[in-house]
Amino acid sequence: MSLMQRAVVEMVLIGVLAGAVGVHVVLRRLPFFAMATSHATFPGVALAALLGLPLLLGSLGFALIFLGVILLTTSVRGLQESSVVGVVLSGSFGLGALVHGLQPSPRISLGAALVGQVLGVTTLDIFTTAAVGVVVLAFLVGAHRPLIFGAFDSEAAQAAGFGQLGDAMLLAAVTVTVVTCVPAVGTILSVALLVVPAMTARLWTDRLGDTFVASILCAVSSGLVGLAVSQRADLAAGASIVLTTSALYAVSWLLAPRGIRAGR
Amino acid sequence: MFAEPFMQRAFVEMALLSLLCGLVGTVVLIRRHAFVTDALSHTVFPGVAVGYAAGNHLFLGALVAAVISAVLLAVLTRVRRADDDSVLALLISSFFAFGIIVVSRRPSFQSDLGTFLFGSVLTVDRNVIVQTAAITVIVIVVLVAAGKELYLRAFDVEAASAMGYKVPVLDSILNSLVALVVVSAAQAVGTALVVPLLIVPAATSRLVSDRVGRIAVLSIVLTAVGAAAGLAVSYSASVRHSLRVEAGAAITSILVVVFAITAFATTMARRRRPV
Repeated sequence: MSLMQRAVVEMVLIGVLAGAVGVHVVLRRLPFFAMATSHATFPGVALAALLGLPLLLGSLGFALIFLGVILLTTSVRGLQESSVVGVVLSGSFGLGALVHGLQPSPRISLGAALVGQVLGVTTLDIFTTAAVGVVVLAFLVGAHRPLIFGAFDSEAAQAAGFGQLGDAMLLAAVTVTVVTCVPAVGTILSVALLVVPAMTARLWTDRLGDTFVASILCAVSSGLVGLAVSQRADLAAGASIVLTTSALYAVSWLLAPRGIRAGR
Repeated sequence: MFAEPFMQRAFVEMALLSLLCGLVGTVVLIRRHAFVTDALSHTVFPGVAVGYAAGNHLFLGALVAAVISAVLLAVLTRVRRADDDSVLALLISSFFAFGIIVVSRRPSFQSDLGTFLFGSVLTVDRNVIVQTAAITVIVIVVLVAAGKELYLRAFDVEAASAMGYKVPVLDSILNSLVALVVVSAAQAVGTALVVPLLIVPAATSRLVSDRVGRIAVLSIVLTAVGAAAGLAVSYSASVRHSLRVEAGAAITSILVVVFAITAFATTMARRRRPV
């Protein structure tokens, strides 16, 4: 496959995965957590590069350590107020920059780690994304009812016995999704693919099934349009993709039935 | 180390930033505004990039971007269908993506990106120090004038609005304070390293004290000590061991490690002493 073909396949896979997981991220108000997770991978990537390990091992390792600390110290409802999330979100860049600077001759550039390189994805990356996608989507479909129950009424879900484990597994699904997206679209921008398509979908529909479909469509089409624009205009790919998702949100806000016309 | 003029300027600048970030960071902590603070730092980045491309107007660019993002934040968080965190994520990523596109058009992409994000405290000049000092004075005046109202709004939003305070106005005041700090620190430590100065020392102080005044004093002291230690580590690593340790990164790392140790110690102490 050529460079561009690989990028297209990767963006379609990431679009499906991020679009679906993103609906849960928006319903549960997890953007803060997703953002902190994507930042936490940065020092992991730098450390793996320094030690000569596979980069994915570093980012996954750091993201899982962060998830572990979060699960030990707080509940899903306390995430917004957790100082650990804030400290990780704000401190990871500094740690990453420190470790990155220690490399005598950097294996990856700081810029690539931050903004991603969708045109640099390998066949292995594509298989990884596909495998993660199958597992995460199977979980979302299999546990759909308890997950939605928990999203809309977490106390009732706890009382019905669906609570802790489901929450923890959802956070784990968000974590691996973020880790999978980061190499392609970068540390800061991966959160856009998780959040913005789902926000856009919610402007168009109230029905949950439709929201998932619309969110996936929106994520995949932003990925492809963004890639095409970046090729035509010679712009950074990850940034073009993100700006396409934002443009789609802005247009939907103006046109969709639940956008600006719905009033306040 | 103290004989070098550039190190003296770095120490003075960091001392000013400690005072500034400790004070504003305490309000950010109490208001639970960590994500907003992070958002403002990322949205200032494209302003710095555009300002630089337009001929070294970093401060002006940062200021304009901060104002635009503060306004957008206020407008978009009133969209009924979207919660605040999602709007923040949208703003952060689209502003940042715009900044990346501006920077990536330049031939010196990688080094520019590094400088805008991580700054270079060792190259601050007299003007930057004067600017930071002026902003510190402004922030202190605002906090003296409106500090009590900001605390009231942070602790009990309903009481604040029942007493006739305009909550959106109070929120805009806090957002502007944060934006001012981010703008003033952007040149010295970079937009990505301002946020830890605002958030991490206050979070650490919160672990050991319940009192607002003590948290503020402790954060200022922690930031100052961490900054001095970070500058010293960075200097000796670069000069004596020829390792590339950037000052901003060293400062942040030290502050994060202090938080981790304090969090671990206080958790252990609480376990041992049953409530």
